[in-house]
Amino acid sequence: MLEKPPVIKSYRWHLGSIAWILHRITGLLLVFYLLLHIWVIHHITSGPEGFNKVMSVVQKPIFLLLEIGLLGTVLYHAFNGVRIMIVEFADNAAGAHKAIFGAVMAIAIFLFLVGGVPMFMHFLHAVSH
Amino acid sequence: MAEYTFRIFRYDPDKDETGRIQEYRFEPEPGWTVLDALNYIKWNLDGSLTYRRACRHGICGSCGMTINGKNGLACETQLKDLGTTVVTIEPLRGFPVIKDLVVDMEPFYDKLYAIKPYLITKTPPPTDKERLQSPEDRKKLDGKYECILCGCCTSSCPTYWADKNFLGPNALLKAARFLFDSRDEGFEDRVNAVDDKHGVWRCHTIFNCVEACPKELNPTQAIVDLRKLMLRGRL
Repeated sequence: MLEKPPVIKSYRWHLGSIAWILHRITGLLLVFYLLLHIWVIHHITSGPEGFNKVMSVVQKPIFLLLEIGLLGTVLYHAFNGVRIMIVEFADNAAGAHKAIFGAVMAIAIFLFLVGGVPMFMHFLHAVSH
Repeated sequence: MAEYTFRIFRYDPDKDETGRIQEYRFEPEPGWTVLDALNYIKWNLDGSLTYRRACRHGICGSCGMTINGKNGLACETQLKDLGTTVVTIEPLRGFPVIKDLVVDMEPFYDKLYAIKPYLITKTPPPTDKERLQSPEDRKKLDGKYECILCGCCTSSCPTYWADKNFLGPNALLKAARFLFDSRDEGFEDRVNAVDDKHGVWRCHTIFNCVEACPKELNPTQAIVDLRKLMLRGRL
């Protein structure tokens, strides 16, 4: 018997599995971000000068751009999390998970634009100066 | 119809170290299903091709396989609905391959036996009639009892690929079919298997099982319902 048949072709993706893999990826990115965040913040123990030195690095334009990505990551993870909670706790919601995904992502995209556009303007301002 | 290319997974345990793809090209008749094409190959082109089939009416669950990257029944999959003339047919993944498209279903049945898939009663039956059920209680089993054990759901589940001890969507759907049956008194007999890290709590709501099920059942709904039942049991 062939215990481990070679996977000839990846299994077909669909909304449920894409939502799940993105949830995993954004979750890992958030763990990475939190570690970085704690590392930056811990410099407060080295006094104002040391802290300002580190902060001047993370306020460079590239980080302002990455922050927009962070906003998107947080919003996706949070709102897909809401979708999963609805599927888990609402009655007979699993059959409607695609519609729920559409609804929560509409809110997430709206919030991304509300937050992301000013952040991008801030980035452009930082680049031009 | 146009000429189709069938790319079929071949593995002969007596000859092959590993699996390979063999191609067959011919023009199928209009209205053919994937099973009709497999039959044509076996009967006219290559008698060594091995696959399971029985009823060809979508009720025996024998011909579950991966067709163009998605699990389904060969007998229910119309060639014209595939939207391509290149058809890749693989055995159900997640299970050991015995030969060509035939997989070993024992691991699948082991999970099913673990949840005791039969009515368990403790009280003696009424002497003058059967164990009756109200129409409302009967309705609670809709979407749970229709499973034909084809294995398409469990084989499509990434969680099952990663954790071979996971009961899988099929066994959990079957567990729900009995745990939500008003006549059943087997909660205590099944709870240890179901309320386990390899039971309902392993599911990551990926919904591959729902996409794969040829009977359009929703094992994910059954799993989240079981989770709520297990939570209430603990509280």
